[in-house]
Amino acid sequence: MLEVNHLKAAYGQVQVLHGIELKVPKGQVVTLIGSNGAGKTTTMRAISGMLKPTGGSILLGGKSIAGLPAHRIARIGLAHSPEGRRVFPTQTVRDNLLLGAFTRLTFGGRPRGDIRGDLDRALDLFPRLRERQFQLAGTLSGGEQQMLAMARALMLNPDVLLLDEPSMGLAPILVEEVFHIIERLKEQGMTMLLVEQFAAAALAVADYGYVLENGRIAVHGPAEQLRNDPKVRAAYLGIAH
Amino acid sequence: MDILLQLLMSGIALGMIYAVIAFGYQSTFATSGTLNFGQGEALMLGAMVGLSFSGDILGGPYLNYWLMVPLVLLFGALQGAVVEFVGVRPAIKTKSEFGWIMSTIALGIIFRNTAENLWGRDDLPFPSPLPTEPIHIFGANVLPMELMVVVGAVLMMVLVELFNRRSIYGKAVVATSSDRDAAGLMGINTGLVITFSYALSSMSAAFAGVLIAPITLTGASMGAVLGLKAFAVAIIGGLTSGLGVIVGGILLGVAETTTGFYISTGYKDVPGLVLLLLVLAIKPSGLFGKTTIKKV
Repeated sequence: MLEVNHLKAAYGQVQVLHGIELKVPKGQVVTLIGSNGAGKTTTMRAISGMLKPTGGSILLGGKSIAGLPAHRIARIGLAHSPEGRRVFPTQTVRDNLLLGAFTRLTFGGRPRGDIRGDLDRALDLFPRLRERQFQLAGTLSGGEQQMLAMARALMLNPDVLLLDEPSMGLAPILVEEVFHIIERLKEQGMTMLLVEQFAAAALAVADYGYVLENGRIAVHGPAEQLRNDPKVRAAYLGIAH
Repeated sequence: MDILLQLLMSGIALGMIYAVIAFGYQSTFATSGTLNFGQGEALMLGAMVGLSFSGDILGGPYLNYWLMVPLVLLFGALQGAVVEFVGVRPAIKTKSEFGWIMSTIALGIIFRNTAENLWGRDDLPFPSPLPTEPIHIFGANVLPMELMVVVGAVLMMVLVELFNRRSIYGKAVVATSSDRDAAGLMGINTGLVITFSYALSSMSAAFAGVLIAPITLTGASMGAVLGLKAFAVAIIGGLTSGLGVIVGGILLGVAETTTGFYISTGYKDVPGLVLLLLVLAIKPSGLFGKTTIKKV
């Protein structure tokens, strides 16, 4: 569904990604783990068009999307719940969700489908948001904003969902809730690329994993295998061997 | 007392004109962080195009005032889109912090020179669509056109606000204003939203032009001072506050009419500009603006 080859990206003169290769097959959850500064978020940004890649190819459902602006990539079917949530603070929770469905509500976008039904399903998945539907998004707590960012991305009805650090800055109980929701999305067949600091939890929910080191893929394999890899355990799972 | 009331009424009408132009400054600042310093020229072009349709300068009148207004709005929108495309887009693309300042000023000068060559340098009267007999309100004489200015200005701002709150396209404009990158992820073409905000900005200036033209005179130089004063209003009221430009506009308008009468017309611009300096010294984000911290 999503295929990344030799992806390179830079901030100004500083090369951050030195040729990333990864695949996210349809219906699977793939996780990208690595230490701070390894290039996880940059990879996500380069895929979704927030950052223009300096080289390599990205295929989404067979279509080449590398170098396209973010809004065109969204229209092709990729949703990105970005690092730091980035909800629209001056607009209501409901308006944020409708903006998530912008490509379906407007001319020349994605198939319309059942927007009202999807809105309902998103609010079922995140009951806290239902209570706060008409509140301004800026007044939500950090955890609620994270839920909103995820729900908003789902409203695109995407072929692939990118989740960047959905647990960042959340209380442990909310982290658990976020992973529970990822699990439910997986059961529903959502194709996801997940970046997480909690590598153990990410590898528990994922089918496949990539370990990123200094802008390169260092190790990759089925999640099960990575969980048992002594090097991965020592470096990222905090377990001595 | 009657005189004061009279001055207040005239000041409010003038202030609403400033508010409409200042509203245009806000619209582009919200979406792109840039301003069209040719707003005054957009106003002048709106008035001149309107005069060409409804006045007798080009062998007309061809259209009555009310049919002319939509055409002027359309012209204003196109003119604004051109300014964005030619002057602002390249500066945004290269992430130039200040390129747009010079390019919008340059385009403004080009528009003014073109207007001088097309329509001449003289100020021309603009036929009023409403009776020119003043009506009496609480003992003050008010021109029907002055009422029309206030009604038109408020109507325009209410319509834009409704568009922003109710339609998905308006919501996309608001989203682009608060977080351009995140709006792009929603599938919103933020470049197009910025073009739209420039179109809206020049459209409101052109509208202000045809509202004020029947009260004043119309000419190639009419926009420069109005554009500058409206910029002062946007700073006084706050570049992010819709209510701010209305209050700021009325403050400046009333300050001008009262100073003009009680002190001297020679000093009428002074109090408003003193107010501007005070606001910049005491509350730089404007009377109603939110303080924003620039993240580096």
